[in-house]
Amino acid sequence: MSLKHVGILLGKELWQGPKNFIFVWALVMPIIISLVVSLIFGTLFNEKPKLGVVDEGGSQLVAMAEQLPSVITKEYGSVAEIKQAVESGAVDVGMVLPADFDSSVMQGEETELVTYIWGESLAKNRTILGVTIANLVRELTGQEAPVEIEAITLGDEVSIPWNDRVLPLVVLMAVLLGGLTLPSASVIDEKEKKTLEALVITPASIGDVFIAKGLMGVILSLFMGVVILVLNQAFGTEPALLISVLALGAIMAAEIGLLCGALIKDITTLFAVWKAGGILLFGPAIIYMFPQIPQWIGKLFPTYYFLQPIIAISQGGSGWSDIATNVFILVGLDLILVGVVVFALRRTRQFAV
Amino acid sequence: MNLRIIGALVAKDLSLFFRNRFFALITVLGLVVYMVIYFIMPKAVNENLEIGLYAPVVLPAFEQMQEEGLEIEVIESEELLKEGVTEGQYVAGVVLPADIMEDFMSGQKPKISVYFAPDVPEEIRDAVGVLIRELAYQQTGQALTIEITEEILGPDLAGMQIPPRDRMRPLFAVLLIMMETFGMANLISEEVERRTINALLVTPVSVKDLFFAKGITGVSLAFVQAALFMAIIGGMSRQPLIILTALLLGAVLVTGAGFIVAALSKGFMSVLAWGMIILIILFIPAFGIMFPGAVTGWVKAIPSYYLVDTVHRASNFGAGWGDVWYNLVVLLGADLALAWIGIMALRRKLR
Repeated sequence: MSLKHVGILLGKELWQGPKNFIFVWALVMPIIISLVVSLIFGTLFNEKPKLGVVDEGGSQLVAMAEQLPSVITKEYGSVAEIKQAVESGAVDVGMVLPADFDSSVMQGEETELVTYIWGESLAKNRTILGVTIANLVRELTGQEAPVEIEAITLGDEVSIPWNDRVLPLVVLMAVLLGGLTLPSASVIDEKEKKTLEALVITPASIGDVFIAKGLMGVILSLFMGVVILVLNQAFGTEPALLISVLALGAIMAAEIGLLCGALIKDITTLFAVWKAGGILLFGPAIIYMFPQIPQWIGKLFPTYYFLQPIIAISQGGSGWSDIATNVFILVGLDLILVGVVVFALRRTRQFAV
Repeated sequence: MNLRIIGALVAKDLSLFFRNRFFALITVLGLVVYMVIYFIMPKAVNENLEIGLYAPVVLPAFEQMQEEGLEIEVIESEELLKEGVTEGQYVAGVVLPADIMEDFMSGQKPKISVYFAPDVPEEIRDAVGVLIRELAYQQTGQALTIEITEEILGPDLAGMQIPPRDRMRPLFAVLLIMMETFGMANLISEEVERRTINALLVTPVSVKDLFFAKGITGVSLAFVQAALFMAIIGGMSRQPLIILTALLLGAVLVTGAGFIVAALSKGFMSVLAWGMIILIILFIPAFGIMFPGAVTGWVKAIPSYYLVDTVHRASNFGAGWGDVWYNLVVLLGADLALAWIGIMALRRKLR
């Protein structure tokens, strides 16, 4: 291996990279995905029951409902609008407050309240919204709650909001899109255009070419991983440790990318590998999203040993002692993959030097 | 159009596909992985709020409250209640004080302790608080002066909700189909780039034969994968014919899209660029099925809406031909339009 050759080749990759679609894709896609995910999971995956209101007479009930932390309140302009919202599932329950609603209930008159219920709404959401409406009406009429409630939390675990559950998937995408796709597509592209053959008859060896392409993947992957964590304000209290783990993950991604590059003949096959293997790589992130799935299954995937320390540092505030075992396994996997890539290169007749 | 030639071209494309053992294996593996994900996802929806109640005195409003979506279980001791909450058996554990009735009668506000497991979200804690207050109002006989009338819109699924994995069924099937947009586009783009398409066209093969053959190959690969997936995960236990028809029309749709992408592209990189844009657009309606209410009416302008809506309604609600005929007609129209545009664009490119 010649450091000079690797440096020259890396320089070429860095210079040519921005003209390559995969390079731009690996840079832009994680940012777009991260923004879309925070928008979607910040609102859509919210498990709060949704209450829609049509207020025909300026009722105080709407403002009271909007202040409740247990439900999401949306206001609509007409009965037709609220019915459409309920039918589409935008709200679980829609209610129509008549023009004289406040004065009627305050005077103790029997008042009719029309509600529309989305057929697919969960039963518990219907119950919560039902008692919430009743509670609001009681508060409006000045009834005082006859009890005091003391909430006591048992244990010290915390619930993980959807935004945080999805973060590992976004980080993994950022690291893999650059780290894996760039080196593999680059090697395959050179193989297809026969420029790789031209390269290896120069003083640069096939090893130099692969190291340069791998380094390019690691740099892009690490950069994107850091960008995504910064965008999501998930840098935690141990930034140096976090960047070290990200770097090890980026190395793993680049090694898998180089392995794909060495073994795969054309871009179509690379695409097929992504189609199936991509899910295997993203497995731990998907499992993390659903706590109902036994979490030990995640340990069967190699990317778990990269992802778990990242989650532990960025979301759990963990330090070195908590993640050391998984980091050592990650280092071990990286070393094994180096061996596998070298072996694959030697076995592949096309690259015999 | 020469059927013998078309058959030979399809056989050639399919044999090339399956001769590449790696490609074939990985396609099967992809299917298997999607299935594994489907099967490990929760198969039921817990739509009840389970609350444990420790009440040293009998309070009818609390003990008899068994509304739809609410399960109140009376527990013998506070310790057992805490254990149940910690183990996740109950979302909350309510402890009523022994002198609650005396407090009510003397006009004092009794203090009710509510235990929560640490992973219970804030909104559920607040909701349980609202529920307890309402029960206390009822227990103290404070009347509510409103009469609530309810109208259920859409099929009432209370007690028989669609599990997330079944809601994701159309998404998986559609994803499998749509990925073939890339495959088809790349197949044609490669032939154009390598000029093998020109070599083919100097033989008795006509442009029509060629497109037809490519179309059949693309449709077969997309359709078989999606149909197999749906059959294995039980997605065709209701209205199989409708689902198969929708998947077939969906496969034609992505093949037409693949033609367009191939016409726009110069090599794999641009196939990826254009394909990704089309894939994202076609994917949006599936997203609307997963998260109802997330997308508005404009989603109907995307042809894949009619595919996912049909698959969702037929497989999850047992919708019949009468319910989905409009979707299928629109899908067929979109198929014809996309295929025509794709073929015209490719013809221009080959000229």
